[in-house]
Amino acid sequence: MIPDIPPAALYVGAAVLLLTLCNVLTRAGFLLFGDRIPLSDGMRRALRYAPAAALTAIIVPDLMPWPRGGWPAFDLRLVAAAAATVVCLRTRSAVAVIVSGMLALWGLRWLFG
Amino acid sequence: MAPDREPFDAADAAVRAERMAGLRSGLRAIAPAAVATFTWGLVTGVAMAKSGLGESAAVAMSLLVYAGSAQLTSLPLIATGAPLWLIFVAGLVVNLRFVIFGAALQPYFRDQSWPRRLAYGYFTTDMGFVLFMSRYGDASVRGTTEQRWYFIGGAAVSWLAWQASSILGVLLAAAVPADWSLDFAAVLALLAITVPLASSRPMLVSILAAGLAAWLGQALPLRLGLLAAVAAGVAAGMFAERFLRSKP
Repeated sequence: MIPDIPPAALYVGAAVLLLTLCNVLTRAGFLLFGDRIPLSDGMRRALRYAPAAALTAIIVPDLMPWPRGGWPAFDLRLVAAAAATVVCLRTRSAVAVIVSGMLALWGLRWLFG
Repeated sequence: MAPDREPFDAADAAVRAERMAGLRSGLRAIAPAAVATFTWGLVTGVAMAKSGLGESAAVAMSLLVYAGSAQLTSLPLIATGAPLWLIFVAGLVVNLRFVIFGAALQPYFRDQSWPRRLAYGYFTTDMGFVLFMSRYGDASVRGTTEQRWYFIGGAAVSWLAWQASSILGVLLAAAVPADWSLDFAAVLALLAITVPLASSRPMLVSILAAGLAAWLGQALPLRLGLLAAVAAGVAAGMFAERFLRSKP
């Protein structure tokens, strides 16, 4: 008997398992197979840029949305994120960034929302 | 206890003392970072529940995946029904920094059995790695008991802080009104790890190029703008590295 799993749950479950695999491969891959992985200097240098680029790519559409078929939209989140970036450069504290960014967003919405 | 075992017991005691010393200094070093880990876990927990994963899937994701940035990256992809292969690739790319970490950590753990190496890898965190390398990066002898237990101390605290806060976040999410926009806290958490990465001019150029590509790439289907942004970021970074090398 095949249990009746809704497709949405199957999709989420598959995503979670794939992400687990991602995590094991990237974190433990080198410790497990390091003696057999050739990683050239050029590759190492190129890899350094990928994570920051991917993180930026996740953040940007949230701050500067561009609906498909429409025009770029302005969102107060961009201003709040700019304020949080300044805090980040000053303090290097993740907690301070989250707190200041949220306060900035609520303040801006209250003023202009 | 037979008297002929005494030398072994003495050796055992020495190993135990070395473990305890390493563990203690590891716990001490990670304590301040645990506050940040806790906040970040709370935010991730709320974000997972708010994205419509459902409580059990969110808790499973936290316990199994154990990778904050990959989890937060995957949420908008899952919410928009992006193809599974893109979720996998995005998770790999965001986690690529751990490949670099693994390459640096490998000399310290290479003589361990493979299940242990798997565990050391799985429990590597950003903060754990940074603290470990700043303390033992220049060590003349690599792979000592003290080093391993320093790592274990940091990893254990990080794991506990993360799971406790993340699951708490999932449970609390229902009580948080939607108009608080707490999902923005997840974006801010990602911002807090991205901004310090812009520590050199090539890295800044790379991030700006990735940002531009991601902004323009919103027109692409399936959130493929993500891949375009990574390609643009890596290319711009390599280019800037070569071009800016003459100037300090």
